[in-house]
Parts: sequence; C-alpha cells; structure tokens
Amino acid sequence: MHFDFDAGKYAVYVWPAFALSAAVFVWMIADSLASARRWRAEAERRQADAKGQSQDLSK
Amino acid sequence: MGARNNKNPFDFLANPERFMAFSRWAAPMFGAIAGVLAIIGLILTFTVPEDYQQGDTVRMMFIHVPAAILASFVYLCLGIASFLALVFRHALADAAAQACAPLGAAFTVLALATGSLWGKPMWGTWWVWDARLTSVLVLLLFYLGYLALRGALDDEQKAARAAAILALVGVINLPIVKFSVEWWNSLHQGSSTLFAKSEDRLPAVYAWPMLVMCLAYLSAFGSLWLVRIRALVWRRKARALALKAAEA
Repeated sequence: MHFDFDAGKYAVYVWPAFALSAAVFVWMIADSLASARRWRAEAERRQADAKGQSQDLSK
Repeated sequence: MGARNNKNPFDFLANPERFMAFSRWAAPMFGAIAGVLAIIGLILTFTVPEDYQQGDTVRMMFIHVPAAILASFVYLCLGIASFLALVFRHALADAAAQACAPLGAAFTVLALATGSLWGKPMWGTWWVWDARLTSVLVLLLFYLGYLALRGALDDEQKAARAAAILALVGVINLPIVKFSVEWWNSLHQGSSTLFAKSEDRLPAVYAWPMLVMCLAYLSAFGSLWLVRIRALVWRRKARALALKAAEA
C-alpha cells in the first residue's frame, strides 16, 4: 500500500477541502454532544428540584 | 373498547421512552461504525492512483459526493419527519425534523464549498449559475429558512407548523437537484455512481472509496441525528418541568 499525500499543483485546492470537511465534522460532533449534555443536565436538575418540592409539600 | 391497533410502523419509535432506550445504544454504535468506515475510506482515498484527466483533484470526489448525497438525503428525512409531525402531530417526529436541519445545512455547505474547490482547477471558475449549483444553493436556503423560522416565533407550536410547511414546500427542490444535470445543460457532470449507466459508471478503483465514504457520512449522520433528537427530548422535558414548577 502506497500513500500519496503529494497533491502537487492541486494541493492548494485539495487540502483546504479536506480541512474544511474535518472542521465541519468537528463542529457537528461538538455541537450535538454539547447540546445533548446541556439539556440532559437541565432536565435532571429540574427533575431533582421537582422531587425536592414534592417532598417538601408532603412534610 | 378494544385495545389500540398498533400497526403504524412509526409507533415503535414514536414513544419517547422507547426511542430514548433505542437511541442510547444506537447513537454510539452508528458513531463507531462511522469512525471505522471513515478511517478505511481515508486510507483508500490516499492510496488510489491519481486520475489521468483530473490528477490529484479526484481525491476531492470522496468528500464532495458523499456531502452532496447527504445534503439531499437529510432534506428528504426533514420532509418525511415534517409530514409526520404535521399529519400525526408526533412530538418526536417534530424533534426529528428540528434535529435534521442544522446537520443538513452543514452537509450542504460542505457540498457547495468542496465543489467550488474542485470546480476552480477543473472548470476554471469557483462558481457558475447553472442548474445543479443553483438548486443546491436553493436547498441551503431552504435549510436556513427552516432554522430561521423555528427561531423567529416565540410560540413553539406555531413555529414548528410553519417550519414544517416550509420544509414540505422545499421537497419540490429535491428532484430538481437530482435531475438538473439531465434536464439542463450544465458544467457539472452527470451521475457516475453505482446507479449510473454502465458507460458513465466510476471504475471500481474509485467506486469503492466513494461507497465507503458515503456509508461513513451516512452513519455519522445517523449517529448525530439520534444525539440531537435526544437533546431535544431532554429540552422538552426540562421545559415541561419548568412550566410545572412555575404553576405550582
């Protein structure tokens, strides 16, 4: 197997295309995971608050 | 009264609890598959011989074509989810539609940008207002319009309905994107994928890396779509709890 990373005179087009694709994928992954983490934490916090409130009311 | 007839094929995932249980293992599984396929696809991308006409720019095909296919495919998912949300009022279908839009917009930006970077050395120009390029730009505008509509209205239900109608209108653009190179004269080449006529089809040495990269992009979308739907389910749960707390 021979890797060919030398794009010659086309390197100025080839490498930005790969770099941009990598950057967009990093954004998609980071944004999706951050949003899931944030809303999961928020839902769990609200759930814990709601439980605490119902325990206060039962006292 | 008899039990509810559960024959709707969407019923399995329409239940948020069942969806959360399913997506909990399915999202990382699709992510892992995408990672493995991307590594194999990139190894193939940088080991195939350069094309006798296009030289090393042929390697851009393996990131441009999957992005372009996903741009249309994700919009089809957006259209189907919007239809289900409008007709059956499934909250999960609406979340699925909402989760599609940013990913689809990102794939469309990638298709346009990598196409432009490929077009400059091959066509001598970054951009031409021909049918394929313009219809893909219109696709991006539909994605951006969908996102803008969802963010513009305070009433989430109204925003969801208006955005779903816009998404369904935009489905008309999908056959235009697909067949634009056949219906009009275009600088853009016709289809040369596995489904093209045999004389136009890619040789196996290029078809394999492209197939692997297409599957990698598709798996990555599957994984990220599930993650984003999960985020929206938690968001709705958090908002419902906040509303309940405010009423108490």
